[in-house]
Amino acid sequence: MPKVKAKRTSVSLDMTAMCDVAFLLLTFFMLTAKFRPEEAVTVVPPSSISEKPLNTKDGVLTISVSKEGGVYLATDDMMAREFMLERMANKYGVALTEEMKSNFLSSEVVGFPAGAMRQVLNEKPSEAKSKGFLKGIPIDSANNELSYWVGYAKLSNPAFKIAIKGDQNSDYKVFSDIIGTLQAQNINIFQLVTSPEKRPQ
Amino acid sequence: MAEIDSSGGGKKGGKKRSKKMSTKIDMTPMVDLGFLLITFFMLTTTLAKPVTMQLNMPDKTEDNTQTSPVKMSETVTICPDENKVYYYQGIPSESATVLNVTDYSDTGIRKVIADMKARIGNNFTIVMKPTKKSKYRNVVDLIDECAITNNKRYALLEIDPDTEALIKRSGK
Repeated sequence: MPKVKAKRTSVSLDMTAMCDVAFLLLTFFMLTAKFRPEEAVTVVPPSSISEKPLNTKDGVLTISVSKEGGVYLATDDMMAREFMLERMANKYGVALTEEMKSNFLSSEVVGFPAGAMRQVLNEKPSEAKSKGFLKGIPIDSANNELSYWVGYAKLSNPAFKIAIKGDQNSDYKVFSDIIGTLQAQNINIFQLVTSPEKRPQ
Repeated sequence: MAEIDSSGGGKKGGKKRSKKMSTKIDMTPMVDLGFLLITFFMLTTTLAKPVTMQLNMPDKTEDNTQTSPVKMSETVTICPDENKVYYYQGIPSESATVLNVTDYSDTGIRKVIADMKARIGNNFTIVMKPTKKSKYRNVVDLIDECAITNNKRYALLEIDPDTEALIKRSGK
C-alpha cells in the first residue's frame, strides 16, 4: 500500500540570473561614472540652500579661486582647450612642441602665468603641480591674462557657461576682480558653485 | 534499509559509490553583495554633486534707460564684513544715517531682512556692498539669505568711499 506523498516544491531559487544582472549593473555604473576632475588646488566651496545642479550640457568653463587667491581655469571641452592654448601661445610668442601640447591637454586645469608657459608645459602636469609652478592666472588690471583665456574659450564655444568656484575663505576682492573682468566682456550670468545645505525652516 | 547518511562513514553493505558533488552553488550572498555595491556607488555619486546658484549682474555695456529707479526708503544697504554684517538705510554721507551691526546667525541678518521685508513690502530692495575685509563665503551667505527670505531684488555693488567712511565713523 503506497503512501500518498504531496510533492514538495523546492524553496531555493536559481539566483544565477539575478546575480548576473546585479553585476552587469555594477559594471555599467562603474564604467559610465566619471571621476571627479583633477583639481590644481583644493577648493572648499561655501554652502547654500540652492538645489540646482550644474548644467554641463553646453560646456562649462570653471574658474576656481584658491584660498590664497590664485585663479585657475578648467574645462573638459578638448577643442576649446586646444584652441585656447594655440591662441595664447601665439599671443605670447611661445613655440609649441607636441610634448607641450600633450602635457597641456592631459590636465584639465590652466593655472600659470603666460610667462611661465614654456617652463610649465615642458613638465608633466603632476610634476608641474608638485614643483609649485601652478601659481594661478594673473588677473590684475595691468596684466589680465584671465580675460584672454576666457575670451578665446568663448570664441571657441560661445555657449560656454561660466561657473565660479571660490574657496569659502578666499578674499572677496579676487571674486570681484573676476566678475569685473568678465563683465568687461559682456558676460553677466555666473553660476556660483556651492555645496548643498538644508533649507532652514 | 536504504538510508542515506550524508555524514559518511557508514559503509556497511551495498555497492560502493563515489559521492557526487552538486554543481549548484548558492548564489544568494553574491547577489546581496552585488546589489549592496550598486546601492553604495549610486548613493555616493549623487551626494558628491555640487549645486550652483545663479548670479546675474547688470549689463555694463547697455545704457540704463530701461531700469526703474528704487526709492531710498525701500532700500537697505548691507555690507558684509568678515565676522559681522553692517546695514543701514539712507545715504551714507549724511550724518543722520544710522549704521547697525548684526551677525550671520539665524537671528541676525536673516531676521533683519525678514522684518524689513514685512515692513516695506514688495519693492524691498537689498544692496550689498562687501567691505574690503570680507571673504567670498560672506557674500555667498548673504545671497543665500536673500534666497531663504525669498528676496529676488538684490544687487551686488562695489563699496564706495562714503560707506567706508560711515563704517569707520561709527567705530563698530
